[in-house]
Amino acid sequence: MAIDGSETLIDCRSVWKMFGEKVNAALRGIAERGLGKTEVLCEFGCVVGVADVSLTLRRGEILCIMGLSGSGKSTLIRLFNRLIEPSLGKILIRGDDIAAMDTERLREARARHVGMVFQSVALLPHRTVLENAAFGLEVQKVEKRKRLQVAEAALAKVGLSDWGGRFPNELSGGMQQRVGLARALASDPEIILMDEPFSALDPLIRRQLQDQFRQLSKELGKSAVFITHDLDEAIRIGERIAIMKDGAIVQVGTAEDIVLEPADAYVADFVAGISKLHLVKAHSVMHPIDAFKAARPEVDLLCLTRTSADADVDELIKITLAGQQDGIAVLDDGEIVGVVTQRSLLQGVKGKGPGEQPIL
Amino acid sequence: MTPSGRSSTAFTAPSRNCSWRPPFVVVAVLTALIGWRAVSLRFGILAALGLTVCAFVGLWPETMATLALVMTATALALLIAIPLGILAGLRLGLNKLLQPVLDLVQTLPPYIYLLPAIALMGFGPATALAATVIVAIPPALRLTAHGVGLTPVNFLELGTATGSSPGQLFVKIRLPFAMPSIMTGVNQCLMMAFGVVGSGGLGAAIYDAVRTLDTGKSIDAGIAIVILTMILDRITEGAVKDQGAGP
Repeated sequence: MAIDGSETLIDCRSVWKMFGEKVNAALRGIAERGLGKTEVLCEFGCVVGVADVSLTLRRGEILCIMGLSGSGKSTLIRLFNRLIEPSLGKILIRGDDIAAMDTERLREARARHVGMVFQSVALLPHRTVLENAAFGLEVQKVEKRKRLQVAEAALAKVGLSDWGGRFPNELSGGMQQRVGLARALASDPEIILMDEPFSALDPLIRRQLQDQFRQLSKELGKSAVFITHDLDEAIRIGERIAIMKDGAIVQVGTAEDIVLEPADAYVADFVAGISKLHLVKAHSVMHPIDAFKAARPEVDLLCLTRTSADADVDELIKITLAGQQDGIAVLDDGEIVGVVTQRSLLQGVKGKGPGEQPIL
Repeated sequence: MTPSGRSSTAFTAPSRNCSWRPPFVVVAVLTALIGWRAVSLRFGILAALGLTVCAFVGLWPETMATLALVMTATALALLIAIPLGILAGLRLGLNKLLQPVLDLVQTLPPYIYLLPAIALMGFGPATALAATVIVAIPPALRLTAHGVGLTPVNFLELGTATGSSPGQLFVKIRLPFAMPSIMTGVNQCLMMAFGVVGSGGLGAAIYDAVRTLDTGKSIDAGIAIVILTMILDRITEGAVKDQGAGP
């Protein structure tokens, strides 16, 4: 368990959250008869917020949870720091069961290990930006001079060192959200919970903040759960993406996994509009050498232009346009492992439907 | 006869005002200073001038008696209303329990409370004080409860998520958001206290004047009450704005 705790920061095991009067009866139904969420709603009138979710957050990664409004993602993230109590299931934070913590330890965990950034930012209007950034430390009773110093450093990290003396309403939305991030960073938590932090911002600012957040969390070695309803944002920020629908996780994987192999029609719908140019890599569109040789025996593999397995579709198209050849040889560890043809490129751009086979 | 009633007839001669001059100057200067800080310089000067008017129409002792009664009643009422209001704001059950009581207190005419008080304590400032406190409590209590219950959910979440203790949550998050509402409550409490002032100072002066058909005198006392009310109202309102303005 100790090793587990150091590698897996959040371990969420078949967690349910239900709202309603007959939650206990519904829980028995789930435990004894294995009811699903529709049956629970029909039989007990309980609204299921989170249904049987198992997820892990590994050290150093950013896990994006993507879903539309009402899919339960905001409920789920509040279970991770016990702002909401789970109805069923277990959540381990750094190896400790969060439900078993007493008030004191829970407070300690929230203050030191799990930071949170809100969609509404929630900057206290009667405090200056600096005092807001120091709020977490103030709660921890850090001495005033020390906490203002740390808060100032945190503001500097998000590029707002000149704004400490202002009040929140003097700042733009994007700046306010950066203060929210600085406030979370000031307590130096290992885990940061981001609840749709950039959703209310306009696209350009949002992108800047996404990049800044990603860069900062990598620099500082933070791990984060990032909630969003925007797949582009999830792809930009997250190492792994979990797609949520009606309280349940539909698919978890890297952006490429999800775009190339959507688990069901719902996910496929979501990823349909996503540009694959920079997402899809050569190794996932290439054909095996044998298949290529069988179909095009006249082509000499050694004459083809070569590229690495990590080259994205955008780069592959550039190479194809520059040369006159029938394909691009994909190298891995100095050996040719496959061939990308023009047709496979087109398919990479279009995306593969469930069950479709690669065409030579 | 009440002590203030006695004084209202005794202090009509301007010469007797001499003995009140030092406190008058002190009170006027203090009021001007407070009015300046809380509202504006112009208001501070006007307030001091207003008090001067009260003194020059020969009603200074009555004015001070009224001020003392109103301030004491307000202080006592707030001492009960604010803690109870905070509890009611935090505990929905208590709030529900208090509502009908407050409704009752507020709908009955204020003089009702004078009757049992008179029966128990006889005529006098203490009676007026007791009745005034009862009437002044409900608005302050309601507004305090309202203010405490007003904290936006996302800020409560912020407090909890940063690991605040219940005490920290209240002082650092709930209270600042509740402050404007509480200050409005203080202001309303003060106004209610003024409304009930029947047997103290200026109120008694009005009754005396009406009884003797001294119209001029009753108008003087009326003006003095209005001046005093406006000064206290504007100062507490200014405090509300200062709280709410939190930039």
